[in-house]
Amino acid sequence: MKRTLTVCPYCGCGCMFYLVSNQGRLIGVEPSTTHPVSRGGLCVKGWNAYAFVHHPDRLTAPLIRRDGSLQPVSWDEALDLVVARLRAVQEKHGNDAVMFASSAKATNEENYLLMKLARAVFGTNNIDHCARLCHSSTVTGLAETFGSGAMTNSISCFDQTDVILVIGSNTTEQHPLIGSRILNAVRKGTHLIVADNRRIRLARQAELHLRHKNGSDVALLNGIMQIIIAEGLADPEFIKARTENYEALAEAVADWTPERTAAATGLGVEEIIAAARLFAGAERGMIVYSMGITQHSHGVDNVRCIAALAMLTGNVGRPGTGVNPLRGQNNVQGGCDMGALPDLFSGYQKVADPLVREKFAAAWGVTALSDKPGLPLTRAMDAASAGHLYGMFIMGENPMLSDPDQGHARRVLENLELLVVQDIFLTETAALADIVLPAACYAEKEGTFTNTERRIQPLRKAVEPPGAARADWEIICDIAARAGYQGMRYSSPAVIMNEIASLTPIYGGITYDRLDPHGLQWPCPDREHPGTPILHLERFTRGLGHFSPALHQLPAELPDDRYPFVLTTGRTYFHWHTGSMTRRSHLLDREEPRSFIELHPDDAARLGVRNRDELLISSRRGQVLTTARVTDMVIPGVLFMPFHFVEGAANALTNNVLDPESSIPEFKVCAVHVEKLP
Amino acid sequence: MKILTLDQLDQFFTRISETWELRLPVLLPDGTRAIAPFTSAPPALLGGAVPGKPTAAFFPQQASVFTVYDGALQEPQTPDRPLFIIGFTPRDLACLRFIDRFFADGWRDDIYFRQRQHAVVAGLSGLCGPNGAMIPPAGGDCDLEFFFDGSNWLVVPYSEAGQAIVASLPDSSSPKTLELFRQASAQPEDENEILIKRASELLQADRVPDSFWAEIGERCIACTGCNLACPTCTCFGVQDWRSARQTERSRMWDSCQLDGFMREASGHNPLGSEALRTRRRIHHKLAADPEKWGEISCFLCGRCDAVCPTGIGMVAVARELVTRFGLTESKYLVTGG
Repeated sequence: MKRTLTVCPYCGCGCMFYLVSNQGRLIGVEPSTTHPVSRGGLCVKGWNAYAFVHHPDRLTAPLIRRDGSLQPVSWDEALDLVVARLRAVQEKHGNDAVMFASSAKATNEENYLLMKLARAVFGTNNIDHCARLCHSSTVTGLAETFGSGAMTNSISCFDQTDVILVIGSNTTEQHPLIGSRILNAVRKGTHLIVADNRRIRLARQAELHLRHKNGSDVALLNGIMQIIIAEGLADPEFIKARTENYEALAEAVADWTPERTAAATGLGVEEIIAAARLFAGAERGMIVYSMGITQHSHGVDNVRCIAALAMLTGNVGRPGTGVNPLRGQNNVQGGCDMGALPDLFSGYQKVADPLVREKFAAAWGVTALSDKPGLPLTRAMDAASAGHLYGMFIMGENPMLSDPDQGHARRVLENLELLVVQDIFLTETAALADIVLPAACYAEKEGTFTNTERRIQPLRKAVEPPGAARADWEIICDIAARAGYQGMRYSSPAVIMNEIASLTPIYGGITYDRLDPHGLQWPCPDREHPGTPILHLERFTRGLGHFSPALHQLPAELPDDRYPFVLTTGRTYFHWHTGSMTRRSHLLDREEPRSFIELHPDDAARLGVRNRDELLISSRRGQVLTTARVTDMVIPGVLFMPFHFVEGAANALTNNVLDPESSIPEFKVCAVHVEKLP
Repeated sequence: MKILTLDQLDQFFTRISETWELRLPVLLPDGTRAIAPFTSAPPALLGGAVPGKPTAAFFPQQASVFTVYDGALQEPQTPDRPLFIIGFTPRDLACLRFIDRFFADGWRDDIYFRQRQHAVVAGLSGLCGPNGAMIPPAGGDCDLEFFFDGSNWLVVPYSEAGQAIVASLPDSSSPKTLELFRQASAQPEDENEILIKRASELLQADRVPDSFWAEIGERCIACTGCNLACPTCTCFGVQDWRSARQTERSRMWDSCQLDGFMREASGHNPLGSEALRTRRRIHHKLAADPEKWGEISCFLCGRCDAVCPTGIGMVAVARELVTRFGLTESKYLVTGG
């Protein structure tokens, strides 16, 4: 019997727990009582994080497609084929004809290595990962306004604040150990404003619940800022000392009178005024947001407005304040930090900067690195259908369920000349692959994950991987070696981290011996640096905070006579993304066993729909069968559907329209038709 | 009864491990305590109850029920060496006594008793509570008890197995010593015990309105930690993992805080809200179990209160409930809030 201290594989809270194992098998989970986030508790997914690991569906051998079906082969055969076929695609169509998709489920070291493999070995900047689908608008929006696209404060700040504005985050379900802190703070007197038209648990505890129209966040935030300025509630000292371009903001929001804001958002004038006064009137205010802000065709504008509201009220750079985008995946922060992004190396160093390219080329022992920014993941599908992309190497992602417009994604993936998928289960995407590589899961390897508060934490191996499965980092290094590259031989992930630290200033002081027990928060530039719980203390990363005003834009697709409902998509508490792990965890799958759609009782009555009726939902992209859940969680005219389920896949319906700056898809708004099946 | 110095205690553990699989409270790498195999981590007998339920030794979070391989049934084996577990506080021992009876009642749970039947269970008491606080001795409910007097450990046998083990120890002392400690540590019923009894009384008298449960339920994030940390929670789910030649049936701790726990095949759920499920959780321990077993099945170990991220563990709920609905008319009059 053994206990192994490690990091939860689910959300960005980054709780640490002990995996309990006996005779090489996991038999349970025990929370860490001293970890700063979990503090002796866990959410339901954390408590069940052991449950999928030994599932009989785990991939145990490399597979190659022969005669139309995937056949087990040796590692030698599979990896030689991976290299030969990647090279063949590149020789035929050019280096940028292949794309590497990294994973927010993989470790920092693995993300760094896949980035290095793409750039140093295969000569392309076509490397990206699922941050593109969740917080790319944050990275763009906060880099422009603050100079750093990460959560400014720490999770402990929720215990030290006077007012919390939660906008577009179902925190108790998606970041439960942060959501529960918010609930506790409210009981101790912290004011809570929730802006989200779903009646989520936090909304039911909030002092103000603003149920604004989907996609009207810019209008709402501009309206709130107009009131703050008009009523003299702004923080002039902070604005003067710490920011620039305030005049442009003041001018841009001046027309957003409460009446105009009310008309654009569907809210009442009084509640908008109340929210502005409550937030601006507090000594310390935190803003929390997530996918409800980012996943819009104007996601970057939403983020700009949030940054502006925080600066306008002086709520940056102090405990209990800040702009706090909650990163979804356990290591989506780390995936970005490691430069698994088409335009950035690790530590947000620009591909466009020749000095940066020189530095990496010298360290990696290559003559030159491509200066052409690569493709964002969300543009890869279109590039493939336009004849610019022919091969994809996908590590630990499942775009068949996670990408918008599933029909389009399927057609593209099926038509690629080469699809290699490295994963722990035969996902819907892996099932389409030419070559499948079996990977170790989080419990079977070492490395680090970086949580939403920028805390780099050690992942430890509890049990052996099944069959021939290997850690992602080992597979990547083997591919590099077979491709003739000698610069990716490492004895352990700790050695990889030393290389990361040498090239990545914000990780400069990170070594494994410093990470016990609960990690360090970046920036941590040198060996003596204690880590950084709060960003932008004396100055913003970019110097002065920059006000970037934004214009209100409508979502790309709005309801009409043919598709009269707004569909918004998201997740449930019990499942994780495309369900490859949680749908194989008995209690979690039992809790939410099938696809469903929420609709308001008034809509249900009008359509003659009862709870659990089967419904056919159609959009311009496709149609799915799902089960009705009649509830006042949603407002009339709006439907909510989770995207976890292969049967009843919400992303068969969603709109593949992208934010022009961040390339994030508009998962949160599309138009659909509802039909009750006889 | 015998007395062991700290050095002798360590020698005793080493000797015990030759015959038994010894598990005891240890200090894990980040300061979390747990009952774990001797030598896996430094022993940490001081500090009070461990955060995980000690009954997990006999009823782990997940356990095999059987495996069918090529049509042949294989049941889990009885362990080669029986368990010797130190670390049950007197409250934990009360929980163990409760679930021993539960698992033996009617259909005897052979998976539980495969681990439990030959195990030696040692209680832990004395000046070894949080920050050196006194844990009154259990005086029974275990094979033997380790009582810390501030510098040495008194070892007191209760069962035959306990007598045999203690008889083999080198030193001895007057049996009056533990009695003196017991008398010295005897205290009036503590506030939590009064609270829980009063809450039980109120629930059995149906004095708690639905609105109270709606309010508490709103704070439940369905983490299930209260159930998973509770030594007297015995509910489990069952799953089958099928592959080409093998079916593996296992069971895992379940939780009445999950919607799926009581959901009917139709989809209807008689406990279809957090309010009803939270009411059930508290009601089961404080009203249903007294009816079935003659005693409240919460022994105030405090684990659900420690593990709950939103502060609605048993004692916290009982306190709110009694404060609002039961300050008067009781033999368990409570004055605090």
